[in-house]
Amino acid sequence: MYFAAEVEQEKCKGCKLCIFSCPEPNAIIFKPAKKKVSIDPKRCKACGLCLEACKFLAVTITQVK
Amino acid sequence: MSVDIIKISPGFEEIMPEDYRDLVNNGSYGKGFSVSELGTFKELIEEHPLCAGCGLALSLRFILASLPDPEDTVIVGTTGCNSLAEAQVAIHNIHSIFGNQNAVATGLKRALEIRFPGRTKDVVVMAGDGGVGDIGLGTTMHSWLRGEKFTTIMFDNEAYANTGGQESGMSCEGTVLNMAPTGKKFPKIPLPEIARDAGCVYTAVVTPSNPKRLGKMVRQAILIARELGPSYIQIYCPCPTNYKFKPSESIKRAKEKEKDGSYPVREYFSPKAKEFVERLEKRVNETG
Repeated sequence: MYFAAEVEQEKCKGCKLCIFSCPEPNAIIFKPAKKKVSIDPKRCKACGLCLEACKFLAVTITQVK
Repeated sequence: MSVDIIKISPGFEEIMPEDYRDLVNNGSYGKGFSVSELGTFKELIEEHPLCAGCGLALSLRFILASLPDPEDTVIVGTTGCNSLAEAQVAIHNIHSIFGNQNAVATGLKRALEIRFPGRTKDVVVMAGDGGVGDIGLGTTMHSWLRGEKFTTIMFDNEAYANTGGQESGMSCEGTVLNMAPTGKKFPKIPLPEIARDAGCVYTAVVTPSNPKRLGKMVRQAILIARELGPSYIQIYCPCPTNYKFKPSESIKRAKEKEKDGSYPVREYFSPKAKEFVERLEKRVNETG
Protein backbone atom coordinates (compact mmCIF):
# COMPACT_ATOMS: atom_id res chain seq x y z
CA MET A 1 0.00 0.00 0.00
CA TYR A 2 1.37 3.39 -0.98
CA PHE A 3 0.25 6.79 -2.24
CA ALA A 4 0.37 7.99 -5.84
CA ALA A 5 -1.03 10.84 -7.91
CA GLU A 6 -3.89 10.26 -10.32
CA VAL A 7 -5.26 12.37 -13.17
CA GLU A 8 -8.99 12.78 -13.75
CA GLN A 9 -9.20 12.39 -17.52
CA GLU A 10 -12.30 14.59 -17.87
CA LYS A 11 -10.61 17.58 -16.24
CA CYS A 12 -7.21 17.24 -17.96
CA LYS A 13 -6.60 19.82 -20.72
CA GLY A 14 -3.19 18.50 -21.82
CA CYS A 15 -1.22 21.64 -20.86
CA LYS A 16 1.71 19.47 -19.62
CA LEU A 17 2.45 21.72 -16.63
CA CYS A 18 2.53 18.62 -14.42
CA ILE A 19 5.19 17.03 -16.63
CA PHE A 20 7.38 20.13 -16.20
CA SER A 21 7.04 19.98 -12.42
CA CYS A 22 7.63 16.26 -11.85
CA PRO A 23 11.05 15.11 -10.56
CA GLU A 24 10.34 11.50 -11.52
CA PRO A 25 11.37 10.47 -15.04
CA ASN A 26 8.77 8.80 -17.28
CA ALA A 27 6.15 9.01 -14.51
CA ILE A 28 3.73 11.30 -16.37
CA ILE A 29 3.15 10.38 -20.01
CA PHE A 30 1.51 12.68 -22.56
CA LYS A 31 -0.74 10.95 -25.07
CA PRO A 32 -0.82 13.08 -28.24
CA ALA A 33 -3.87 11.29 -29.69
CA LYS A 34 -6.10 12.16 -26.72
CA LYS A 35 -4.14 15.31 -25.75
CA LYS A 36 -4.23 14.20 -22.13
CA VAL A 37 -1.69 12.93 -19.60
CA SER A 38 -1.66 9.81 -17.47
CA ILE A 39 0.42 8.98 -14.39
CA ASP A 40 2.16 5.66 -13.84
CA PRO A 41 1.47 4.93 -10.15
CA LYS A 42 4.51 2.63 -9.89
CA ARG A 43 6.88 5.49 -10.66
CA CYS A 44 5.11 8.14 -8.56
CA LYS A 45 6.45 9.17 -5.13
CA ALA A 46 3.37 11.30 -4.31
CA CYS A 47 5.41 14.48 -3.69
CA GLY A 48 2.44 16.61 -4.76
CA LEU A 49 4.33 18.94 -7.14
CA CYS A 50 1.96 18.10 -10.02
CA LEU A 51 -0.99 18.77 -7.76
CA GLU A 52 0.37 22.26 -7.05
CA ALA A 53 1.14 22.87 -10.73
CA CYS A 54 -2.25 21.79 -12.16
CA LYS A 55 -4.51 24.78 -12.82
CA PHE A 56 -7.57 22.63 -13.59
CA LEU A 57 -7.56 20.66 -10.30
CA ALA A 58 -7.31 17.43 -12.28
CA VAL A 59 -4.70 15.78 -10.06
CA THR A 60 -5.48 13.98 -6.82
CA ILE A 61 -3.30 11.89 -4.53
CA THR A 62 -4.85 8.54 -3.74
CA GLN A 63 -3.96 5.34 -1.96
CA VAL A 64 -2.83 2.49 -4.20
CA LYS A 65 -3.34 -1.02 -2.90
CA MET B 1 29.03 7.00 -31.02
CA SER B 2 26.82 5.57 -33.73
CA VAL B 3 23.18 5.42 -32.69
CA ASP B 4 23.15 1.83 -34.01
CA ILE B 5 25.24 0.70 -31.05
CA ILE B 6 22.24 0.80 -28.72
CA LYS B 7 20.09 -1.29 -31.04
CA ILE B 8 19.28 -4.82 -29.88
CA SER B 9 20.78 -7.74 -31.82
CA PRO B 10 18.11 -9.64 -33.76
CA GLY B 11 16.75 -12.55 -31.75
CA PHE B 12 17.43 -10.93 -28.38
CA GLU B 13 14.43 -8.58 -28.38
CA GLU B 14 12.30 -10.77 -26.17
CA ILE B 15 14.80 -11.27 -23.38
CA MET B 16 15.80 -7.60 -23.07
CA PRO B 17 14.13 -5.67 -20.23
CA GLU B 18 11.08 -3.67 -21.22
CA ASP B 19 12.72 -0.37 -20.22
CA TYR B 20 15.66 -1.02 -22.55
CA ARG B 21 13.39 -1.86 -25.47
CA ASP B 22 11.45 1.30 -24.75
CA LEU B 23 14.68 3.32 -24.74
CA VAL B 24 15.76 1.92 -28.12
CA ASN B 25 12.36 2.46 -29.74
CA ASN B 26 11.24 5.73 -28.12
CA GLY B 27 14.45 7.20 -26.70
CA SER B 28 15.90 10.59 -27.60
CA TYR B 29 19.20 9.46 -29.17
CA GLY B 30 19.77 11.27 -32.43
CA LYS B 31 16.26 12.75 -32.55
CA GLY B 32 17.00 16.22 -31.20
CA PHE B 33 14.16 16.43 -28.70
CA SER B 34 13.97 19.45 -26.40
CA VAL B 35 12.57 20.17 -22.95
CA SER B 36 9.19 21.23 -24.32
CA GLU B 37 8.63 17.71 -25.71
CA LEU B 38 9.09 15.99 -22.34
CA GLY B 39 6.47 13.34 -21.68
CA THR B 40 6.28 12.24 -25.30
CA PHE B 41 9.53 10.24 -25.41
CA LYS B 42 11.41 7.84 -23.16
CA GLU B 43 13.73 9.89 -20.95
CA LEU B 44 17.41 9.11 -20.57
CA ILE B 45 17.09 8.74 -16.81
CA GLU B 46 15.29 5.86 -15.15
CA GLU B 47 13.79 5.53 -11.68
CA HIS B 48 16.20 7.11 -9.19
CA PRO B 49 16.50 6.85 -5.41
CA LEU B 50 16.27 10.61 -4.71
CA CYS B 51 13.66 11.96 -2.29
CA ALA B 52 10.12 12.96 -3.24
CA GLY B 53 10.01 16.55 -4.47
CA CYS B 54 13.78 16.74 -5.07
CA GLY B 55 14.79 19.85 -7.04
CA LEU B 56 17.96 18.12 -8.18
CA ALA B 57 16.04 15.30 -9.86
CA LEU B 58 13.82 17.85 -11.58
CA SER B 59 16.84 19.79 -12.87
CA LEU B 60 18.54 16.60 -14.01
CA ARG B 61 15.49 15.64 -16.10
CA PHE B 62 15.55 19.02 -17.85
CA ILE B 63 19.31 18.91 -18.43
CA LEU B 64 19.20 15.43 -19.96
CA ALA B 65 16.32 16.44 -22.22
CA SER B 66 18.20 19.48 -23.51
CA LEU B 67 21.62 17.96 -24.29
CA PRO B 68 22.43 18.77 -27.94
CA ASP B 69 23.93 15.31 -28.68
CA PRO B 70 23.21 12.82 -25.90
CA GLU B 71 24.87 9.96 -27.82
CA ASP B 72 28.15 11.91 -28.00
CA THR B 73 28.12 13.18 -24.43
CA VAL B 74 30.02 11.91 -21.42
CA ILE B 75 28.90 12.94 -17.94
CA VAL B 76 31.43 13.25 -15.14
CA GLY B 77 29.96 13.22 -11.66
CA THR B 78 31.22 13.06 -8.14
CA THR B 79 29.99 12.02 -4.73
CA GLY B 80 26.72 13.51 -3.59
CA CYS B 81 22.99 13.18 -4.12
CA ASN B 82 23.54 13.60 -7.86
CA SER B 83 25.81 10.54 -8.05
CA LEU B 84 22.92 8.37 -6.86
CA ALA B 85 20.83 9.48 -9.83
CA GLU B 86 23.62 9.56 -12.42
CA ALA B 87 24.05 5.80 -12.15
CA GLN B 88 20.53 5.51 -13.63
CA VAL B 89 21.32 7.64 -16.68
CA ALA B 90 21.55 6.05 -20.13
CA ILE B 91 24.58 8.13 -21.15
CA HIS B 92 28.25 7.28 -20.60
CA ASN B 93 29.13 8.52 -17.16
CA ILE B 94 32.05 8.50 -14.79
CA HIS B 95 31.88 8.65 -11.01
CA SER B 96 35.10 10.29 -9.86
CA ILE B 97 36.65 10.60 -6.41
CA PHE B 98 35.06 13.43 -4.37
CA GLY B 99 36.24 16.74 -5.77
CA ASN B 100 38.20 15.31 -8.70
CA GLN B 101 35.50 15.73 -11.33
CA ASN B 102 37.01 18.64 -13.27
CA ALA B 103 40.49 17.07 -13.32
CA VAL B 104 38.98 13.83 -14.66
CA ALA B 105 36.93 15.76 -17.21
CA THR B 106 40.05 17.63 -18.39
CA GLY B 107 41.90 14.40 -19.17
CA LEU B 108 38.81 12.87 -20.71
CA LYS B 109 38.13 15.80 -23.02
CA ARG B 110 41.74 15.88 -24.23
CA ALA B 111 41.79 12.11 -24.76
CA LEU B 112 38.49 12.18 -26.67
CA GLU B 113 39.84 14.88 -28.99
CA ILE B 114 42.80 12.62 -29.87
CA ARG B 115 40.76 9.42 -30.12
CA PHE B 116 37.90 10.92 -32.20
CA PRO B 117 39.50 13.77 -34.19
CA GLY B 118 36.59 14.19 -36.61
CA ARG B 119 33.77 14.11 -34.07
CA THR B 120 32.56 16.51 -31.43
CA LYS B 121 32.40 14.87 -28.03
CA ASP B 122 30.82 16.86 -25.24
CA VAL B 123 32.06 16.42 -21.70
CA VAL B 124 29.65 17.70 -19.06
CA VAL B 125 30.54 17.81 -15.39
CA MET B 126 27.48 17.49 -13.14
CA ALA B 127 28.24 17.71 -9.47
CA GLY B 128 26.80 19.07 -6.26
CA ASP B 129 27.75 22.18 -4.34
CA GLY B 130 30.11 20.19 -2.10
CA GLY B 131 31.96 18.74 -5.09
CA VAL B 132 32.29 21.97 -7.05
CA GLY B 133 32.26 24.70 -4.41
CA ASP B 134 34.07 23.17 -1.44
CA ILE B 135 36.06 19.99 -1.86
CA GLY B 136 36.70 20.25 -5.60
CA LEU B 137 37.11 24.02 -5.82
CA GLY B 138 40.84 23.65 -6.60
CA THR B 139 40.43 21.31 -9.58
CA THR B 140 37.35 23.22 -10.76
CA MET B 141 39.01 26.64 -10.72
CA HIS B 142 42.19 25.33 -12.35
CA SER B 143 40.19 23.80 -15.19
CA TRP B 144 38.60 27.24 -15.74
CA LEU B 145 41.95 29.03 -15.51
CA ARG B 146 43.43 26.65 -18.10
CA GLY B 147 40.47 27.28 -20.41
CA GLU B 148 39.44 23.63 -20.76
CA LYS B 149 36.57 23.30 -23.22
CA PHE B 150 33.82 21.61 -21.23
CA THR B 151 30.75 22.57 -19.24
CA THR B 152 30.48 22.43 -15.46
CA ILE B 153 26.98 22.22 -14.00
CA MET B 154 26.49 22.62 -10.28
CA PHE B 155 23.38 21.38 -8.50
CA ASP B 156 23.23 23.86 -5.65
CA ASN B 157 21.04 22.45 -2.87
CA GLU B 158 22.86 24.60 -0.32
CA ALA B 159 23.85 21.69 1.96
CA TYR B 160 25.57 18.31 2.14
CA ALA B 161 22.17 16.70 1.78
CA ASN B 162 23.32 13.12 1.30
CA THR B 163 25.14 12.85 4.63
CA GLY B 164 22.51 14.24 6.96
CA GLY B 165 22.59 17.99 6.39
CA GLN B 166 25.94 19.68 7.05
CA GLU B 167 26.45 23.28 5.92
CA SER B 168 28.36 23.76 2.69
CA GLY B 169 30.16 26.80 1.35
CA MET B 170 27.09 27.49 -0.78
CA SER B 171 24.64 27.59 2.18
CA CYS B 172 23.40 31.09 2.98
CA GLU B 173 24.68 32.89 6.07
CA GLY B 174 22.68 32.00 9.20
CA THR B 175 21.27 28.76 7.74
CA VAL B 176 20.39 26.25 10.46
CA LEU B 177 20.63 22.61 9.40
CA ASN B 178 20.57 19.24 11.16
CA MET B 179 24.33 19.30 11.64
CA ALA B 180 24.77 23.08 11.73
CA PRO B 181 22.63 23.88 14.80
CA THR B 182 24.13 27.30 15.55
CA GLY B 183 23.73 28.57 11.99
CA LYS B 184 26.31 29.19 9.31
CA LYS B 185 28.85 31.87 10.18
CA PHE B 186 30.01 33.14 6.79
CA PRO B 187 28.18 34.13 3.59
CA LYS B 188 27.50 32.06 0.46
CA ILE B 189 30.48 31.70 -1.88
CA PRO B 190 29.92 33.95 -4.95
CA LEU B 191 30.94 31.15 -7.31
CA PRO B 192 29.32 32.52 -10.52
CA GLU B 193 31.36 35.70 -10.18
CA ILE B 194 34.50 33.68 -9.36
CA ALA B 195 33.82 31.58 -12.48
CA ARG B 196 33.44 34.69 -14.65
CA ASP B 197 36.71 36.14 -13.34
CA ALA B 198 38.53 32.79 -13.59
CA GLY B 199 37.94 32.57 -17.32
CA CYS B 200 34.54 30.99 -17.92
CA VAL B 201 33.30 32.42 -21.20
CA TYR B 202 29.68 31.74 -20.24
CA THR B 203 28.26 31.65 -16.72
CA ALA B 204 24.60 31.24 -15.80
CA VAL B 205 22.64 31.04 -12.57
CA VAL B 206 19.17 29.56 -12.85
CA THR B 207 16.40 27.67 -11.03
CA PRO B 208 14.27 24.79 -12.36
CA SER B 209 11.05 26.82 -12.07
CA ASN B 210 11.18 27.59 -15.81
CA PRO B 211 12.21 24.46 -17.77
CA LYS B 212 12.57 26.15 -21.16
CA ARG B 213 14.90 28.83 -19.78
CA LEU B 214 17.02 26.15 -18.08
CA GLY B 215 17.11 24.05 -21.24
CA LYS B 216 18.20 27.02 -23.34
CA MET B 217 20.99 27.87 -20.92
CA VAL B 218 22.28 24.26 -20.86
CA ARG B 219 22.27 24.09 -24.66
CA GLN B 220 24.04 27.46 -24.92
CA ALA B 221 26.65 26.44 -22.34
CA ILE B 222 27.48 23.20 -24.16
CA LEU B 223 27.64 24.79 -27.62
CA ILE B 224 29.83 27.62 -26.32
CA ALA B 225 32.12 25.16 -24.52
CA ARG B 226 32.65 23.24 -27.79
CA GLU B 227 34.00 26.29 -29.56
CA LEU B 228 35.33 28.84 -27.10
CA GLY B 229 36.15 27.65 -23.60
CA PRO B 230 34.82 26.67 -20.20
CA SER B 231 31.22 27.38 -19.25
CA TYR B 232 29.52 27.15 -15.88
CA ILE B 233 25.87 26.79 -14.83
CA GLN B 234 24.67 26.94 -11.26
CA ILE B 235 21.19 25.55 -10.65
CA TYR B 236 19.30 26.10 -7.42
CA CYS B 237 17.86 22.74 -6.33
CA PRO B 238 15.50 23.08 -3.35
CA CYS B 239 16.00 20.25 -0.85
CA PRO B 240 12.80 19.44 1.08
CA THR B 241 14.50 16.82 3.26
CA ASN B 242 17.16 19.05 4.80
CA TYR B 243 15.44 22.43 4.63
CA LYS B 244 12.28 20.96 6.18
CA PHE B 245 9.54 22.07 3.84
CA LYS B 246 6.84 20.06 2.10
CA PRO B 247 8.00 18.22 -1.06
CA SER B 248 5.14 19.88 -2.95
CA GLU B 249 6.64 23.34 -2.26
CA SER B 250 9.98 22.85 -4.06
CA ILE B 251 9.10 24.87 -7.16
CA LYS B 252 7.28 27.52 -5.13
CA ARG B 253 10.40 27.95 -3.02
CA ALA B 254 12.59 28.31 -6.11
CA LYS B 255 10.23 30.99 -7.47
CA GLU B 256 10.22 32.82 -4.13
CA LYS B 257 14.02 32.84 -3.97
CA GLU B 258 14.12 34.25 -7.50
CA LYS B 259 11.62 36.99 -6.63
CA ASP B 260 13.03 38.14 -3.30
CA GLY B 261 16.51 38.52 -4.76
CA SER B 262 18.25 35.86 -2.68
CA TYR B 263 18.87 33.74 -5.79
CA PRO B 264 18.82 36.08 -8.80
CA VAL B 265 18.85 34.43 -12.22
CA ARG B 266 21.69 35.90 -14.24
CA GLU B 267 24.03 35.24 -17.17
CA TYR B 268 27.54 36.48 -17.93
CA PHE B 269 28.86 36.31 -21.49
CA SER B 270 32.40 37.06 -22.62
CA PRO B 271 32.36 39.33 -25.72
CA LYS B 272 33.28 36.36 -27.95
CA ALA B 273 30.55 34.19 -26.43
CA LYS B 274 27.99 36.95 -26.94
CA GLU B 275 28.97 37.25 -30.58
CA PHE B 276 28.83 33.44 -30.99
CA VAL B 277 25.33 33.20 -29.49
CA GLU B 278 24.05 36.08 -31.64
CA ARG B 279 25.45 34.36 -34.72
CA LEU B 280 23.74 31.08 -33.74
CA GLU B 281 20.40 32.80 -33.10
CA LYS B 282 20.63 34.60 -36.43
CA ARG B 283 21.28 31.31 -38.21
CA VAL B 284 18.34 29.64 -36.42
CA ASN B 285 16.02 32.53 -37.33
CA GLU B 286 17.11 32.41 -40.99
CA THR B 287 16.58 28.66 -41.33
CA GLY B 288 13.36 28.75 -39.29
